[in-house]
Amino acid sequence: MPDLNTWLLISPELILTVFGLLIIVIDLVGREKSHAVLPWVAILGFILAIATIPYLAQDQTIFAGMYAIDKFAFFFKAIGAIGGILTVLISIDFLRTRTPAKGDFYLLLTFAVLATMMMASSTSLLMIYLSIEFLSYMSYLLAGFLREDKKSNEAAIKYFLYGAVTSALMLYGLSLLYGISGSLNLADLTKQFAASSDLSVKALGIVSFTLLLAGFGFKISAVPFHQWAPDVYEGAPTPVVAFLSVGSKAAGFALLLRVALTAFPTFHAEWIALLSVVAMMTMTLGNLVALQQTNVKRLLAYSSIAQAGYMLIGVIAANVSGASPFMGLNGVLIYLAAYLFTNLGAFVIVVAIENATGAVEIPEYAGLVKRAPLLAALFVVFFLSLAGIPPTVGFIGKFFVFGAALREGFLLLAAVGVINSVISVFYYFSIIRAAFFEEPKDATLIRVPGVMTASVAICAALVLLLAVFPQSLIDLAGMGMGMFGIARP
Amino acid sequence: MPIDFLPILVMIAVVAAFAAIALILSGLTGPRRPTRAKLEPYESGMPPFGSAMRRVSIKYFLTAVLFILFDIEIIFFYPWAVLFRQLGLFGLIEMGIFILILLVGYVYIWRKGGFDWD
Repeated sequence: MPDLNTWLLISPELILTVFGLLIIVIDLVGREKSHAVLPWVAILGFILAIATIPYLAQDQTIFAGMYAIDKFAFFFKAIGAIGGILTVLISIDFLRTRTPAKGDFYLLLTFAVLATMMMASSTSLLMIYLSIEFLSYMSYLLAGFLREDKKSNEAAIKYFLYGAVTSALMLYGLSLLYGISGSLNLADLTKQFAASSDLSVKALGIVSFTLLLAGFGFKISAVPFHQWAPDVYEGAPTPVVAFLSVGSKAAGFALLLRVALTAFPTFHAEWIALLSVVAMMTMTLGNLVALQQTNVKRLLAYSSIAQAGYMLIGVIAANVSGASPFMGLNGVLIYLAAYLFTNLGAFVIVVAIENATGAVEIPEYAGLVKRAPLLAALFVVFFLSLAGIPPTVGFIGKFFVFGAALREGFLLLAAVGVINSVISVFYYFSIIRAAFFEEPKDATLIRVPGVMTASVAICAALVLLLAVFPQSLIDLAGMGMGMFGIARP
Repeated sequence: MPIDFLPILVMIAVVAAFAAIALILSGLTGPRRPTRAKLEPYESGMPPFGSAMRRVSIKYFLTAVLFILFDIEIIFFYPWAVLFRQLGLFGLIEMGIFILILLVGYVYIWRKGGFDWD
């Protein structure tokens, strides 16, 4: 029977559960006026969840080895919660005009963040599957949240169908793994693989990793499991897209890293080969298709596919022993943190413009600099960061990821990554070109609510500050490499 | 090891063979005197009417899903009831929290009109 101490170790999760229920109770009991408090209740929950993280003991598994309490999980829990806060901030104004139901939205979002936290800590096949499904169902509901909007419905259905297929593939892989080891624990799996020289075990191990990759690839939107992304990004409510592009992706990477590094070290060479192909396809396809897009949300969808490709380079180059600052693993963590503020910042601007004018096509962004000078200027900052150009934090992320690839000798991957970064500049700046060098059709100023301005300013400040003073981020990512079951130098 | 699953494979083969033999034998040896009533599809004793392809209101789906939800809730009570004495106060509090969470869901469905037919 778990004692009280065990429960304290999952206090971020418990806090989010309580706050999720609190939101629904306020929504049901409170009057219409009290509903304005709901987003702030959600934000308070996220802040409390982050605040407990430094006080938790580390490097152990609880609940019979199903759940890891380690710094690696803490890092991703913090990313999920920060993503949640920023998503709530941009949702307030977005939802006001579009739907009467609000409590449900914040409940689903709180539980989606809860699911990302569970994914970050899962060390058992059962927990991995349940937490991924938990996040998936919350995401489907959020994607289809605007019930009157046909595109939102389309997004939810397509997301669900792709999700169901990849989830079935992943479940098959999990069942094979259980068949090999007779245990649900990732740690037992490692021992089984290391002890066995049986060729059929080796073959099953590689096949099941490939099947698991379907589930993880769906979450991080890696080619060939990316097809849902453009339609969902275009149709789903934009704040939800912002969350999916960051929170959901980060959680997918958390699971991919944990499973690859703790359960499959025996097949290091094999999964590196597999992921290298996936990474190159993801970067190249994402960037080349992004060049053709005219809808800003679809463009950001392909951009986020491409970004997943860069991060996969870090996963491939992940090396947990050695003293170099380029460990691959910390590169992924730095990249994810950078991507969190950059992409969410870009989405705040997209939401602000969509709310004020309904514009989502690049030609409609013409002359943005005259209509909303601050937004246009900050757009440049975020796109510089997405393209990985200094002095932005996106550069720091790419620097550590590509640096690790070079150190580990993946020259081809690094080269493909750099070429793709150059291609990406072109489509990011097609938006900037429209915003700065074309005449607006309608020159009225765009009014942006204070909450939005504040959140976009915070994101932009972090994107620039973390680039100029990257040491704290590098230190945090270095700590975040502490994964249970892996000895560190 | 894959070889450990051999009994399951044998089981599948036995079950498939049993089903096939039973169907084939009764088809070959049994008497066949079809009447109108015998050939109708069985619908729990109701006389069938209309086409099976007609559209059914989504309301039935909601009812079915809600039923499954609370049905599964009851299933969780069984292991608790069996181990009630061993789990003691801890189990009671745990179950109280479990029911409380579901109660919030129940009130949610109620207030949002999930139980209203129209």
